[in-house]
Amino acid sequence: MTETLQTPAATEDRSAEVSVRDLTVVYRTDRGELPAVSRAGIELRAGEITGLVGESGSGKSTLALSLLNAVPAPGRIASGSVEVAGVGDVTKLEGKRLRRVRGGALGYVFQASQNSLNPLKTVGKQLLDLGRSHEVEDLQGLVRRARELAERMGLDADRVLDSYQHELSGGMRQRVGIVLALVLNARVLILDEPTTALDMISQAAVLDIVRAVHRENNLATLIVTHDMGVVSEVADRLAVMYGGRIVEHGPALEVLQRPSHPYTRALIGATARIVGDTTRARALPGRPPDLTTLATTGCVFRDRCPLASAVCEEEDPALVEWTPGRYRACHADPTGDRP
Amino acid sequence: MKGFLRRLSVRLAAGLVMTAVVATFTFFLIHALPGNPGDAAYEQFVMQGMAPEQARAKVAVIYGFTSHESLFQQYTSYMGQLLRGNLGVSISYSGVPVSHVIASAAPWTILPVLTGLLVSFLVGVTAGVVAAVRRSSRWGGLLSLSGSLMAGVPSFVLALLLAFLFHTLWGLLPFGDTSDVTLTPGLNAAYIGSVATHAVLPVATYALLSYGGWLLSMKSSVVSALGDDFILAAELRGITPATRMRYIGRNAVLPLFTVLALSFGFMFGGSVIIEHIFDYPGLGSLLLQSIGSRDYPLMGGAFLLITVAIVLANILAETLYSVIDPRVRR
Repeated sequence: MTETLQTPAATEDRSAEVSVRDLTVVYRTDRGELPAVSRAGIELRAGEITGLVGESGSGKSTLALSLLNAVPAPGRIASGSVEVAGVGDVTKLEGKRLRRVRGGALGYVFQASQNSLNPLKTVGKQLLDLGRSHEVEDLQGLVRRARELAERMGLDADRVLDSYQHELSGGMRQRVGIVLALVLNARVLILDEPTTALDMISQAAVLDIVRAVHRENNLATLIVTHDMGVVSEVADRLAVMYGGRIVEHGPALEVLQRPSHPYTRALIGATARIVGDTTRARALPGRPPDLTTLATTGCVFRDRCPLASAVCEEEDPALVEWTPGRYRACHADPTGDRP
Repeated sequence: MKGFLRRLSVRLAAGLVMTAVVATFTFFLIHALPGNPGDAAYEQFVMQGMAPEQARAKVAVIYGFTSHESLFQQYTSYMGQLLRGNLGVSISYSGVPVSHVIASAAPWTILPVLTGLLVSFLVGVTAGVVAAVRRSSRWGGLLSLSGSLMAGVPSFVLALLLAFLFHTLWGLLPFGDTSDVTLTPGLNAAYIGSVATHAVLPVATYALLSYGGWLLSMKSSVVSALGDDFILAAELRGITPATRMRYIGRNAVLPLFTVLALSFGFMFGGSVIIEHIFDYPGLGSLLLQSIGSRDYPLMGGAFLLITVAIVLANILAETLYSVIDPRVRR
């Protein structure tokens, strides 16, 4: 079904909608300001789905929120820029202009398990609140657009617009979240853990829908997840985060088939399989760092790394293009031994 | 709408049963009190210096009879009369129907309690929102502190303090009774003004007593709503701060409506002390006086009115809740 939805535009326009450069986000703690995201760089291009994977606490949600300059206190963007096409550097915006970018240019969809709707208002009324907040003059047109999107995602538009949050299932809420993110014609879609807390059937349905709206609207889409399965199913590009750094970045298929960073290898190695040799899943020894245990010098992964050497104690590896289109931050030989 | 009416009638029926149960309990509790109206009057006469024989004779003249019915017979006839809306005849206000006695005192409690409660609810809830939103600033801290202080002051201390300051010390407000006794009751400015100024102290006491509770519960309710996912989601969708504040306010104030109904009942209880201190002739004073003279029918009537008020307030709260909270409605 999704094959017929592909439009020619999907492969043509590959301009960068969002360019994150050298982004550092710090959180104020008792021990001073500690970095949750360190010098991260990423580009979201129209027509591309980027998967951002990592363990809990790796900084992936913080990075996703920085795209909207919405890092919750006590965090703040310490340096770097987030250039959004047609808007400029989001980190420099504030007040009404920043508010209008959120939802207007950038659509953010919450985790499915979270309650992202006001429980006391119908979806339709909240849609109107959204329109008024963004000073949409043609509210009827807005409702029409929302209906189209909802129907397109397999929702009964009349019923959904007239429903309260508690009358919708998890999968339906997730789709309503996508409708609200895209109804103002945002060019960028950011999904935070879109499949977490959904059953397998709803997961597949939501991913199908994400893929379809992505193609139809030629969006630049970012999916933040800890689920390698989700990434392998929908992502064109893949970025792996560890300890606030992007440690590997490249075309999704290549990264999954030939992971280069030892952490990516461990992450793929730890993925449980349903068919084949189920005992092959290997847990990565040790624990992911949090803000207080994060190494301040050298590579943040070295304590758990099978390839760690002396240089890893001294120097934080930079993210470099080691072969065309593939980036990684590691001192070890990229073609080196496989686990 | 049909379901709404059905639920409302179920609630009303349940309220009726509840009232009957409470009426039964109060009937037996009242009669289990040591002493009886005859003894109470007798003791009063003796204390006034009457000879015991004379006092006994006078009591016999006043009451005319002594009930020889068993307690159970008295109970069935009481409930039977109650069903017909007859609360009996007061003993201490000899011959006046209890319903009349209560009806003349009720407005002087209901109006001040209601006004005090509404004022404190509005002020406390608003202050609670400010205290929550500005909780890290000095003003927010001071507001919260004022809430904690007011919530901790006992009613009699507050009432005495207000009476002392505004009446005795500064002489700003009148004290005692519901209006200046020299004025004729009616729709004239002088009388209404007098009623209003006389009501200020009791109303202010009711309001200040519950202000702290509203402030503190609204503050914690708003703080938890501020962290709700849907508020962050609304922010990330670019919803205006004013609209987000409305989302927060409406969600945070919901749980307070139930408390509002309950405190209406508690205020009636509290009116006993406050009306006594301000010498204000409402239901609280009436109840105290009827207990002192063992006026069984009047006591029963007053207790029953308080019960009915609480039951009705709860039904109102539940009905209101089902109108404003869609999760309860459907």
